[in-house]
Amino acid sequence: MKLYSFNRRRIFIVFLCMLGAGLFLTGRLAYLMIYQSEHYTMLADSLHERERSIKAPRGRIYDRNGNILADNRAVCSISVIHSQIEDEEEVISALLTYLDTDEEKVRTKVTKNSSREIIAVNVEKSLADEIRELNISGIKVDEDYKRYYPYGSLASKVLGFTGADNQGIVGLEVSYDDVLSGTDGSINAVTDAKGIELVEFSESRVNPIPGKDLVTSIDLNIQRYATQAALKVMEEKNANRVCIIIMNPQNGEVYAMVDVPEYDLNNPFELNYEANVTEDNQMDLLNNMWRNFNISDTYEPGSTCKIVTLTSALESGAVTKENTFYCPGYKMIEDRRIRCHKTTGHGSETLVEALMNSCNPAFMEIGERTGAETLYEYYGKLGLFEKTGIDLPGEGSSIMHKLEDIGPVELATMSFGQSFQITPIQFITAISTVINGGNKITPHIGIRFIDSESQESNVLEYPVINNAIKESTSNTVREMLESVVSEGSGSKAALPGYRIGGKTATSEKLPRGTGLYISSFIGFAPADNPQVIGIILIDEPEGVYYGGTIAAPVIRDIFSNILPYLGIEAEEIPETDTEQ
Amino acid sequence: MGIKKDYDNTGITSENRAADMAADRERAVKAGRLDYPFVAFVLLIVFVGLVMVYSTSAYRGMELFGDSAYFAKRQLVFAVSAIIIAYFVSKADYRVIAKYSKLILIISMVLLILVYIIGTASHGSARWLYIGPFGFQPSECAKVALIIYTAAACTAHTKSLNSVKGIVKIMLLPIVAIILIAIENLSTAIICFAIVFIILFISSPKTWYFIVLALIGVAGCGLFIAFAGYRADRIRIWLAPEKYPDGYQTMQSLYAIGSGGIFGRGLGNSIQKMGFIPESHNDMIFSVICEELGIFGAVCIIGLFVALIKRCTVIAMNAGDRLGGLLVSGVMAHIAVQLIINISVVTNTIPPTGVTLPFISYGGSSIVFILIEMGLVLSVARRMKPAG
Repeated sequence: MKLYSFNRRRIFIVFLCMLGAGLFLTGRLAYLMIYQSEHYTMLADSLHERERSIKAPRGRIYDRNGNILADNRAVCSISVIHSQIEDEEEVISALLTYLDTDEEKVRTKVTKNSSREIIAVNVEKSLADEIRELNISGIKVDEDYKRYYPYGSLASKVLGFTGADNQGIVGLEVSYDDVLSGTDGSINAVTDAKGIELVEFSESRVNPIPGKDLVTSIDLNIQRYATQAALKVMEEKNANRVCIIIMNPQNGEVYAMVDVPEYDLNNPFELNYEANVTEDNQMDLLNNMWRNFNISDTYEPGSTCKIVTLTSALESGAVTKENTFYCPGYKMIEDRRIRCHKTTGHGSETLVEALMNSCNPAFMEIGERTGAETLYEYYGKLGLFEKTGIDLPGEGSSIMHKLEDIGPVELATMSFGQSFQITPIQFITAISTVINGGNKITPHIGIRFIDSESQESNVLEYPVINNAIKESTSNTVREMLESVVSEGSGSKAALPGYRIGGKTATSEKLPRGTGLYISSFIGFAPADNPQVIGIILIDEPEGVYYGGTIAAPVIRDIFSNILPYLGIEAEEIPETDTEQ
Repeated sequence: MGIKKDYDNTGITSENRAADMAADRERAVKAGRLDYPFVAFVLLIVFVGLVMVYSTSAYRGMELFGDSAYFAKRQLVFAVSAIIIAYFVSKADYRVIAKYSKLILIISMVLLILVYIIGTASHGSARWLYIGPFGFQPSECAKVALIIYTAAACTAHTKSLNSVKGIVKIMLLPIVAIILIAIENLSTAIICFAIVFIILFISSPKTWYFIVLALIGVAGCGLFIAFAGYRADRIRIWLAPEKYPDGYQTMQSLYAIGSGGIFGRGLGNSIQKMGFIPESHNDMIFSVICEELGIFGAVCIIGLFVALIKRCTVIAMNAGDRLGGLLVSGVMAHIAVQLIINISVVTNTIPPTGVTLPFISYGGSSIVFILIEMGLVLSVARRMKPAG
């Protein structure tokens, strides 16, 4: 029986239909594989690739002479990858053998069906290598860096420390976190459906960009010396705390910033004293321990602030060097009798003598002549209303009367440094402006960044306001402050062969009448061209608490060591001259 | 069983039988040579299939049996055996085979029933019979049986093809077989129906019957999708595979195809076969081909199939007799329909269903029976009219 021609035609029609379908599908393939290729390739790649981050090493922190203050140590992080675990019990027991963790926690993480669970971070490299050598599938060991502070607690409140992810938590580590932390790189490895890396496919690698190194103005030796001096006086006077700032008054570079007791940067979560720690108060206690009094806390500056009153009065012309004052041992302000520390009175005194005597009635008089408005104008020029802008986190603000609330009593107390509060850093910055020729500087610690690869460095710039006060006023105040040390209440800061200026203070802590004081001294040298300024605060000293007696000698000791170190030589002056 | 009895069974009249036999004698040609172009296409596709089975199954073979060539070796044994079987089939006279068409269909239907009684489940459906270590899918056998039966019936009952009643009569037994298949494997049933439909369309002088039937089918599918589609999982997956967890396979397939680009990742470099596409050496093998060889390789393979189907068309149109022509048409329909459905599924052009890529997907029964069909085509080709 034959095949009719219509049968043949139909066979051909069927073929054509099939060919049509085939062409349509080829078109569909072309659409998927050419037009949509990028889309699906991207989706597929993201399905296949497992990203592992490569930690960027954090930038080091150096002191001004190249000593490393904060370094990195290679450590490892241990994690488990659920899909790769073959024997959960083996993994759990291995982790428990090598790591000091809770079984319950480890078990939860190992049995949890997630792509990756971190078991431990900051594991010593040698221990991590041992774990790696066990070669248990499902356990992943990744290299990481841990911050290491070679000098332990030195400058702890300035440097700060980092957390588990190497992020800054307090101090410079926070303020320069962006620059120090760098950018993590990544390895994109191709994996199969179980997440096992396929070695035959090349990994795409994005190299980490290491964080930049930070060179600070801190001088390791000055910081050390100041810390020792602070600890010594804290112990002698059984004080709460002792703060010292040593700074260059010309440009605001901080050589040392001490706030003892300091804490161990390598164990920042351990309290540096015995305390009844509960879960509720733990964070508060730690925060308190980490707190940098120098910049975060305010105090009544007391007599040292007479420098500010004096500067305002001289600058505004309210008083001149030639004016004389009379101190009967008190001054009546409205119906109140405000006493001088010398109850018998200083009698008649010149302006310089009033400063040397730290005479309260004389300064109440000066304040009265200057007036609250003018006084505030100069407070403003010296930066007492605003934060200094120091490159440390958590700077506190001053506490001041509102101008319209200042009556005669407030004005009188303000004139000798009471009834308002400022931070130590605000104060040393204001006094630097007074003595450096009148330029308002920004105190700072960071000096420059160094790119660890190219060695390129970026110098940091800080705002300076030139001639915030007149240079002549600055010169006058400087001379007068030199007299305070050479002949007046600051005589214990005098150092043979050096011209030192300074002012003492003893402020009773609030609330009054508790017998608790802050003794302080601010001093600078050389008096005619100040290169270094230092402030010390002794919080709640026991026994003798006069600033001139206990605070001034500390600065003298520090200066006697650091002035030669900074290349400021003692003048060869005969003994007899210095006696005067 | 004698020839006469067989003819009686198919219900043919004696005049017709006499006329047929006369025509047969008239056209009887001596068994000629192998059709070399056809053999070349088949062997090339089988070879590509072996390479791709090795590439796609290496990962799974390693994982399950610690031998990357585990599946490839088995497939090689199947392919070589299938080629040998096909050679013997090509030597046989298809006209003699056709005389036993009803018996062949009935045996395959018995096997289909048997699979529901003693069959082994795979992927949740009972589709396998085991003879020793070798699994066997009766549905693959049924495709061949249906081609032979329908072609033989359309040759024997030429007159029936003029009426609806006659066509229904011819379709009766095939429809029962298709229903048996459809219980567990809808997609194979659709392929079988398409084969039967195409053979009838080619042999019947009536056009409108088939056009109406096709239109009804298309409209039915359209209505189903429009009104009940959202209820059917497969339609839901088809429309938005990325939204559903069970669209996973479809998405994996699209990832593979899409990431192939123009020239692909290179032979052996598929990542999707690394456990992302489940059993990538089976139904989804084409997506891995796309991933590894790109659209270039995919078009080459489609081109090979087109060449093979075109050769089938030529052989069918020049077959020595009506039976041969319809047989080869049935085989052509089988290859083409299965290929189109497979590629449509992996490209998410139609709702997902499990259909193997002929010659290429891993599997003993599918390659053995498709090569038996090739043997039949060669048997017809040996007795072709001389002119192309």
